Amino acid sequence: MTTMIELVDVHKSFGHLDVLRGVSLTVKKKEVVVVIGPSGSGKSTMLRCINGLEPIQRGKVIIGGEDLHGPKTDPNKIRQRIGMVFQSFNLFPHKNALHNVMLAPMKVQKKSKQEAEEIARDLLGKVGLADKISALPGELSGGQQQRVAIARALAMKPDMMLFDEVTSALDPELVAEVLGVMQQLAESGMTMVVVTHEMGFAREVGTRLIFMDGGVVVEEGDPREMIVNPKEPRTQKFLSMVL
Amino acid sequence: MNAFFNGEIFKDSLWLLVQQLPIVIEVLVFGLVCAWSWGLILSLIRLSRFRPLRFLAGVYIDLFRGLPLLLLFIFIYYGLPHAGIRLGPLASGVLGITLCYGAYSAEIFRAGIQAIPKGQTEAARSLGMSNGQAMRHIILPQAVKLVIPPLTNEFIAMIKDTSLMSVISVPELLFTAKEKMGVVVNSTPLTVAALIYIVFTIPLIRLAARMETKRGRRKPSGGKNGGGPTVEAGGDLHTADIAGQLP
Repeated sequence: MTTMIELVDVHKSFGHLDVLRGVSLTVKKKEVVVVIGPSGSGKSTMLRCINGLEPIQRGKVIIGGEDLHGPKTDPNKIRQRIGMVFQSFNLFPHKNALHNVMLAPMKVQKKSKQEAEEIARDLLGKVGLADKISALPGELSGGQQQRVAIARALAMKPDMMLFDEVTSALDPELVAEVLGVMQQLAESGMTMVVVTHEMGFAREVGTRLIFMDGGVVVEEGDPREMIVNPKEPRTQKFLSMVL
Repeated sequence: MNAFFNGEIFKDSLWLLVQQLPIVIEVLVFGLVCAWSWGLILSLIRLSRFRPLRFLAGVYIDLFRGLPLLLLFIFIYYGLPHAGIRLGPLASGVLGITLCYGAYSAEIFRAGIQAIPKGQTEAARSLGMSNGQAMRHIILPQAVKLVIPPLTNEFIAMIKDTSLMSVISVPELLFTAKEKMGVVVNSTPLTVAALIYIVFTIPLIRLAARMETKRGRRKPSGGKNGGGPTVEAGGDLHTADIAGQLP
């Protein structure tokens, strides 16, 4: 299977604080890699390094065979192939749902207005928001905003999707609607890296589970296997606290 | 009373001063467009990645925020000709306003741009937009909306500062009123000028105040830390006192 994302010994520090201390990770096509770990373990930072939102100090990030930090690489081009959804949604508050989704296809991929609108309507329908296309972000619930954000990322037709604790800011009853959309997406064959605390999602949708702590990958394996039977003591301790 | 409000002179002066309005409006329109464009450019330079440019913009902004506009007008109109640069009164007025108000509005724009949450840029960049595209399509539209009230305050100050052009013989309101005062030996022309300024500025003052209260009430949006941003820079702007003049 094709390798979509490859991290090789990635080091990242903010000043004196070492957040990633040599992370290596390979994500193959159609994999759903779920990343768990205590806060401050570097999960979100790793995700942000994958699409170059954070510069790295050492190591390599290779996306679809292309070195993200290579001298001839245009990171904007690579980012078009990586969709990202954030914990705080980050919808554009001055644009309605439809225009949030249409914007990047039009401005970045130079698609026509009609084409972009067709894509946007289709995606908003798929995330169950066909009736909300003209709503401004401020008029939507957290769950609805997050589904718009997913549609917005998908509108660029990315090869892979990164999810950064996308349900952490949601009321519990809204979590399910977002996880539902993500599950559908996984079933459609999307390559996904999901940082989350939702162990149910990890077990049911994840194809691989990664436990991070202290800026390194401590353990990885089959989610169903690893959740029940973690090998590393640190993983055991973490899982015993979240389950 | 007659010294400040003489019916006959009032009518006379009103007609005379109203005739000068086109000049004032001309300066204001050009001044506004130039000062705000220059301010926006300066703020973008100030926030750019190029350290030397950033530094220069900072120096410019500090310098021109520290200089009295009256000095600028006199320098441009009476000083520059010594260096062989001769500008007409109107061009001198617009240039002075642009140089000075460009510096002020640069700070307003910078505050507005920085008030937009970082997540907005990140979302835009993660969609493949370049820095410039993110600025143009995502950050600036939101920032501009945010800075309309402080810019309105600035515009009010600009209206009043057109009176400073009287020293460079632009026949604006104050200049004309003062001349008329000499002729009629009465203060009524000044009263008329005052009234005209008030007629221009009061509606704007009210408008700015209304926009500010409206913004304060606005429902925050955009997720857990995306609450409605406000421009706090208003506090250190020279125009801040104007908003406080009326309840």
